[in-house]
Amino acid sequence: MATLSALCTLEGHQDQVWCVAWNPAGTLLASCGSDKTIRIWAEEGSQWVCKSVLTEGHQRTIRTVAWSPCGNYLASASFDATIGIWSRKEGEFECIATLEGHENEVKAVAWASSGNLLATCSRDKSVWIWEVTEDEEFECASVLSAHTQDVKSCTWHPNRDVLASCSYDNTIKLFKEEIDDWSCYATLESHDSTVWKVCFDSEGHRLASVSDDKTVKIWQEYLPGNQEGIPTVGNEGTWKCVCTLSGYHDRTIFDIDWSQVNGRLVTGCGDDGIRIFSEEVGSDKNAPSFSMSASVRKAHEQDVNSVAWNPKVSSLLASCSDDGLVKLWRFKDGE
Amino acid sequence: MSLDNANPVVYERTREREVLPEDEDDDIEDLFDDREVFDLIREINDPEHPLTLEELNVVDSENVHVNDTEGTVEVLFTPTIPHCSMATLIGLSIRVKLLRALPPRFKVDVKIAPGTHASEDAVNKQLADKERVAAALENSHLLKVVNQCLASKRKLG
Amino acid sequence: MAGFSSALQLTDLNDFITPSQECIKPVKIDRTAGKVGKIRIEDDGTYYNVSDTGVETKLQKAQITLNDCLACSGCITSAESVLITQQSQDELYRVLQENMAHIANNESFKLVVVSVSPQALASLAAKYSLSMADANRKLVGFFKKLGVHHVFDTTFSRNFSLLESCREFVRRYKESEVNKKVLPMLASACPGWICYAEKTHGSYILPYISTVKSPQQIMGSLDYFARCMGATPDNIYHVTVMPCFDKKLEASRSDFYNDVYSTRDVDCVITSGEVDLMLAKENISLADVEDGTLDTLFGADAMVGHTGGGSGGYLEHIARYAAGQILGTELQKLNFKSLRNQDFQEVTIEADGKPTLKMALAYGFRNIQNIVQKIKRNKCPYHFVEIMACPSGCTNGGGQIRLAEGESTLKDRLADVTGLYNSVPVQSPWSVESVTSLYEEWLGGVDSEKCRQMLHTQYHEVEKMTNALTIKW
Repeated sequence: MATLSALCTLEGHQDQVWCVAWNPAGTLLASCGSDKTIRIWAEEGSQWVCKSVLTEGHQRTIRTVAWSPCGNYLASASFDATIGIWSRKEGEFECIATLEGHENEVKAVAWASSGNLLATCSRDKSVWIWEVTEDEEFECASVLSAHTQDVKSCTWHPNRDVLASCSYDNTIKLFKEEIDDWSCYATLESHDSTVWKVCFDSEGHRLASVSDDKTVKIWQEYLPGNQEGIPTVGNEGTWKCVCTLSGYHDRTIFDIDWSQVNGRLVTGCGDDGIRIFSEEVGSDKNAPSFSMSASVRKAHEQDVNSVAWNPKVSSLLASCSDDGLVKLWRFKDGE
Repeated sequence: MSLDNANPVVYERTREREVLPEDEDDDIEDLFDDREVFDLIREINDPEHPLTLEELNVVDSENVHVNDTEGTVEVLFTPTIPHCSMATLIGLSIRVKLLRALPPRFKVDVKIAPGTHASEDAVNKQLADKERVAAALENSHLLKVVNQCLASKRKLG
Repeated sequence: MAGFSSALQLTDLNDFITPSQECIKPVKIDRTAGKVGKIRIEDDGTYYNVSDTGVETKLQKAQITLNDCLACSGCITSAESVLITQQSQDELYRVLQENMAHIANNESFKLVVVSVSPQALASLAAKYSLSMADANRKLVGFFKKLGVHHVFDTTFSRNFSLLESCREFVRRYKESEVNKKVLPMLASACPGWICYAEKTHGSYILPYISTVKSPQQIMGSLDYFARCMGATPDNIYHVTVMPCFDKKLEASRSDFYNDVYSTRDVDCVITSGEVDLMLAKENISLADVEDGTLDTLFGADAMVGHTGGGSGGYLEHIARYAAGQILGTELQKLNFKSLRNQDFQEVTIEADGKPTLKMALAYGFRNIQNIVQKIKRNKCPYHFVEIMACPSGCTNGGGQIRLAEGESTLKDRLADVTGLYNSVPVQSPWSVESVTSLYEEWLGGVDSEKCRQMLHTQYHEVEKMTNALTIKW
C-alpha cells in the first residue's frame, strides 16, 4: 500500500497561503499568500528553512507564483491587478518589472516552456499573453476575451505554444497563435461548476482539471487521423473527457498537479485533504481507470489551496493551506 | 439612491436564549448548535434599512444548520424581495461574520433559501467562491460597508 | 455586448446579474408626498404601487441615458438595451414616420440628414458587390425614399479633422521643447479608445490625446449647413452611418450637446450592419435600389477619399505636414515597418541634420496596451501614434456587416472592404476649395476661437466607483 506522510511544516506566512511552486531544479520552493509576501524555502542540511522573504512587490494578496523554465525568474500574480517579475541573481531576488494592464485581480501566471512567453489571467475575464524581449521587457502580445467569467488559472502545454485556461464559467479553453494573433481554438465543457485548475501530463496529450463540482476530469487529445476515428478540425486535435473521478472529494477541489516524474496526480481540496491518484496498470487510453493510491484526510487544519510535486524528486510533494502553513510530504509507493 | 424595497415587512424578534447552568460550566465541552450560530448573525444590520436581518426575516433560526462534529455550518437566508440587488452583500456580511466568529475548523456555506431570489444560483456561486470573497474583503469601500452591517447597534442582554 | 470594441468590454465586470439589475448608476426618483403602499411585481416585470386605499399606480422605470453610462465607471456593455431605445434603426424609422405624418398634416417637421462614413459604405459595397460610387448612389436613393432629406459623406468633415490634427501636431512639437507632456500626440478619432482611456487611464494619458473632434462630430458641428438651409440645429435630425458601435457612445457625450438649442450634434448613430438590417426589413438588395441624387452642398459631386489607410490617414497626413513644417523636407513614400504584429507599425522620418520624427500605427487593444505602458514608463519613442481600438482599424469596425452563412471568410471580406475603401480617388485636404472657404466664411480663419469651439473637444477622467453598495466583486 502506498503512503503519504508529513515530512515537515514550514511556518512563516502570517495569513492564508495560496500557492506553492518548485523551481525547475527542485531545490527551491516559493510560496505566496494573503500576507502579500513571497517566501523562498530551501533545504539546509536536513532542515527546510526560509531563505528569503520578498515583500513590497504587491499591495494586495499574492495569488500565484511561477518559476521561469530557466529558474532565474519568478513571476507573481496579485489581486492588486499587477504581475511582478523577480530576477534571481546570486541567491538574491530583485523585482525587475511590474506588468500592468489587467483591470482587476490577477489570478494566475504561467511561463511557456520556451521561456519567451508569459500568460496571465484575471477576474476581468481576460487572458493575456506577454512576450519577453531580449532586454527583459515584457510586451503584450495578445488580450484574449474568450471566457465569459473570472479566469481562475492558466497553464502552458509542456512542449508546444498552446495555452490552457479554466474559469468560473465552468469551461476550459485552449489557445494557440494564428497568423498574426492568438485565438481560442477549443472549449472543453463537462464540469458543472467553476474549474479551478487545469494541468497537462508530461507528454501534453492529456489534461487534468478540478472543479467546484468536486470532480477531477481527465481529457485526452485525439490528433487528426487518430485510430479511434474521433473527428478533428484542421491541424488541431480534439480534446475529449475520458474519465471523471467523483465521490472522492467532499468539497471544492482547488488544485491538481500531474507529476512529470512519476505520472501520478495529486489534488488539494477544500475538505482539508490531499489525495494521490494513479492510473491503473493496463488501463484503456480511451477510458482510463484511475484509483486513489494514498490520501491524508486532514492534511491541513483548513482548505488545501495548492499542491505541487517536486520536479526532480518523485516522492516529494509540497502543499499549502488557509491555515497559513506550507507542508512537505513524502509519498511512498507500495510496490 | 433608491431603496430596493422601501417598505419591508418587519418581524418580531425571537426571545433571547436562556442561559442554562451547563453553559456556564467550563468543564462541559460546549458544542456549537443552530441557536448559537443564529445568535451570531441575527443582529447583522441590513445594508439599506435600519433593521437587523432577523427583524426583516432575512435570517431565522429554522434556516441555520450546524453539525459540530462534522464541522459544518449552513445558513440559508431569504432576501426581502426576489430581485433584491443587495442579496450578495447580505450574504457576504453573513459569511464574514461567521468567518470571524467561528473557529476555523468549521466549513461555512451561506446560500439563498431555495426559490426566494431571481438570481439564486448566481449569488450562491459567488458566495461560495472563497477567492472572490477574499478579494472583496481587500476592497476598503466594500469592507467598510460589511463592517457597518456587522457593527452591533444593540448589545444582547 | 454586441459589437463594442474589446477595450470597452474589458472594463465590464458585471457578469451574472440580469441587465435590469446590472446597472448601478444611482438614479434620482421624484417621490410623491404621502405614505407609500406596497409594491407588487407583475409577471411581465412591471411594478405597481398599491396604496393603503387599494389604488394601483404603475411605477415608472428608471431611465438611464448613454451619457449616464459614459460618466459611470461601472458597466458599459450592458447598455445594449439603452442603445436600442436611443440610437438604432428602429429609432430612425420612428422619427421618419413621425416626420411623414407631420408633413402630411402640413405641420412643421424635422430636416433629416444622414452622414455616411466611407468605411461603412465600403462594407455595404462589399456585401452587395458594388463599386463605391454605385453603392453611394444607391444608398442615397434608399435613404431618400425613406424620407431622408440630405445624405452626405463624412469624408468632407474628415478634411477638417486631418487639417486640425496636422496643425495641432506641429504646435505640440514646438511646445515639447518646454513641456514634455505634450508628446506623443495620440489620435482622437476612435471613440472606443477615448472611452477606455477616460475610464482606465485618466489624468496621465488624457493630456496626450489630440483635442481634434472626430469626423462624425465635426459633421455634427457644421451648423453652416443649418444656416444654408435656413434651419436651426434643433430642427435637424442628424443621423450618421458608422462602422462602429462605440460611435453611439461618442454621439452621446455631453461635450457634443448643443446647450443653446437643447439638441445633440449627432442625434442617432447607426452602423453599416444596422443599415443592412433596414435593407432586409424593406426586403430589398442594395444592388436593386434606384440611384439617388447626391447632395452637392459641400462642393463634391464625385466620391473622394483620403490617402493613408482605412482608419482615416491621420498618421500619413501628419507625417507629411510635419516633414514640411519641422524638417523642411517633402516626403515621398512612407516606409512602414511592422513591429510585433501587423497592427503595430512604425515610420521613421529623417532629414539631414535634423532630429528624426517617429510615428506609429497601433491598432487593437494589445497594441494600445503597449503604447500606454511605454508612455507611463517614459519609454515611448514616438511623436505621434494613430491609435484605433479595432484590430486592422476602422474598416474592420465592430459595427460592420457580419458575414452570413456560406459567405466568404472574414479575412476575404475585410480585404474586399479595404480594397473598396482604397478604390476611391484621393484628394489632399489642403486643396479642397470648399474647406478653405469654410475656414474663411464660417470659422473666421484658421486658429480662430470658433475653430477651437467647432473642431476641438476635451476629455474627462472618469472617477472610480466607490459606493460600496454598487461595487461588483
